[in-house]
Amino acid sequence: MTTAPMSKQVLLKKLDGLRQIPTIPAVLAPLLKYLEQPVERLHVQKVTDLLAQDKSLAAQCLQMANSPLFGRWQKVESLRGAVVSLGFRNVSDIAMSCGVLNMLPGEKTSLDPVVFWEHSLGCALICRHLARNTNQSDPAKAYLAGLLHDLGIIVNLWVLPQEFRTAYESAKTRGIPLHEAEQKFLGFTHCDSGRLLAERWGLSPELIAVVSHHHSPENSSEHAGLVALVHIADLLCRMSGLNYGYIEDREVNLFEDPGFTILEQASASLKSFDWARLTFELDSYMDEVHGLVRAIYRK
Amino acid sequence: MTIASVPQPALAIVGPPDPDLVRIRDLIYQVAGIFHPDNKLRLLQDRCCRRMRELKVQTLREYFERLTTHPIRQAELTALLNEITIGETCFFRNRQQLDALRRIVIPNILQIKSKTPLRRLRIWSAGCSTGEEPYTLRMLLLDDASGPLKNWSIEILATDLNERSLAHAREAVYGTYSTRNLTPANRTKYFIPHGEQLRVSPAARTNIGFSRLNLSDDSRMTFMKSMDAIFCCNVLIYFDLASKRRVIQHFFNNLLPHGYLFLGHAESLYGVSDDFRLVHLPGATAYVKGERLLGSTAL
Repeated sequence: MTTAPMSKQVLLKKLDGLRQIPTIPAVLAPLLKYLEQPVERLHVQKVTDLLAQDKSLAAQCLQMANSPLFGRWQKVESLRGAVVSLGFRNVSDIAMSCGVLNMLPGEKTSLDPVVFWEHSLGCALICRHLARNTNQSDPAKAYLAGLLHDLGIIVNLWVLPQEFRTAYESAKTRGIPLHEAEQKFLGFTHCDSGRLLAERWGLSPELIAVVSHHHSPENSSEHAGLVALVHIADLLCRMSGLNYGYIEDREVNLFEDPGFTILEQASASLKSFDWARLTFELDSYMDEVHGLVRAIYRK
Repeated sequence: MTIASVPQPALAIVGPPDPDLVRIRDLIYQVAGIFHPDNKLRLLQDRCCRRMRELKVQTLREYFERLTTHPIRQAELTALLNEITIGETCFFRNRQQLDALRRIVIPNILQIKSKTPLRRLRIWSAGCSTGEEPYTLRMLLLDDASGPLKNWSIEILATDLNERSLAHAREAVYGTYSTRNLTPANRTKYFIPHGEQLRVSPAARTNIGFSRLNLSDDSRMTFMKSMDAIFCCNVLIYFDLASKRRVIQHFFNNLLPHGYLFLGHAESLYGVSDDFRLVHLPGATAYVKGERLLGSTAL
């Protein structure tokens, strides 16, 4: 995705001037860093203490920990209990989800935060599912990539709320992909603005590639496998009930998609993957994701 | 937007799905191609329970054995499939599939065929039962008769194995169950009162040909040529793999290169055919011929 030079400069300037630029919650960075260590060096109490520093985050984590989406079927009442029963990997996924959830602007936005998070969380879960079933990527990494792929939408909501509203409404009315409308009305897409934020946050090169190229995986020279995986998961979500608040009015043939070709080259098991079943399974993800996000937002 | 500060018991913890129910779900998918995602497992359990009461079987495990190792397992499988699809037939049954047909598929077909001199649309309802599906298709196409379909001739072929169902279809009189999904507008536009029931209006009965056809009758199947779309919902589920493959091969040959095959909700061709490719439409899926290339769609 190329950006008109003028627009990109304008965007950069806007981003630099912005006082309220979204930041990763203070507690999250040390927690995620700690969780990167080999499992045998991790301590349950330390993770619990780190999480407990942010009460709101801790409460949300506990709520997510009680969702079947993270494999829980018995009620977890304490943070420590959540850490023990879910395992460190899941705690990391959940903490990151909750942390990023809080970054949307507080005031009324064109894109309902609930809808945005249903899409992001849904995409994260489909990425994890695909990674597990195709041995394409590390499931935890794929989850995080799915969760953060639309980071640029958060930037657009902060930086150019009015212009983004116009783009979003146009995309919704015409049933076209959001990034096409952004390009037209903003001069850049959430891939471009997401890249700027991802770089500023110092995210890993893999995540920067996902944020930048998830609508054009063929342009991703490195980490193409993960980018393509997120691209496909995103596409499936947008064509189902886990979309951005509207379903795109078109036909998608995965097998003719450039992202699919990249995935197929990287993963032999993809040839026999059951896409129909995954599509039907999206239904149950949808119910769970709707319930969870709405519970967190008390809607 | 309020972020909850304390955990809310908003999500019911219903417990993990019964492993025996999951085994039955997977068996049904493997042999019949109908998938029940986790959020529909309760429905499947209800259907199994009805059969279990009939058979005086106490547990799902025991019932699974009936479906797999018992000498009359094939008969029981058919009985369960009947329970699963019972009450499925009604007008405008799968709204998202019909919307996708009208908004995406028909315009695609018209665009491709506009280059040919023959302005004819041919749709086959294979396994039309008592006629609700072909009449629904006719009504849908009539809605566009003075718009995009102006000057196009429409031909709907409706076939079924069962003479009694076909007689009902030709009679075109329906009770409240079949007509439960009708919008008031469609009820007025396409039906006339017939005692306490409703009869399909003469306009909506035009251009539909009902005939008896066994989908396993190879010689007659070869005559169903030049189809733009085939609907075959909840019919193939009763066929064994070899017969299913034969029918699908006929469908493949009978469809024009741009043709579409629609199956029932959550019905899949996985493991049956490599010739057809799954495509995603807004909230629905269909199958297309693998070798075709429509105009590329922007992703």
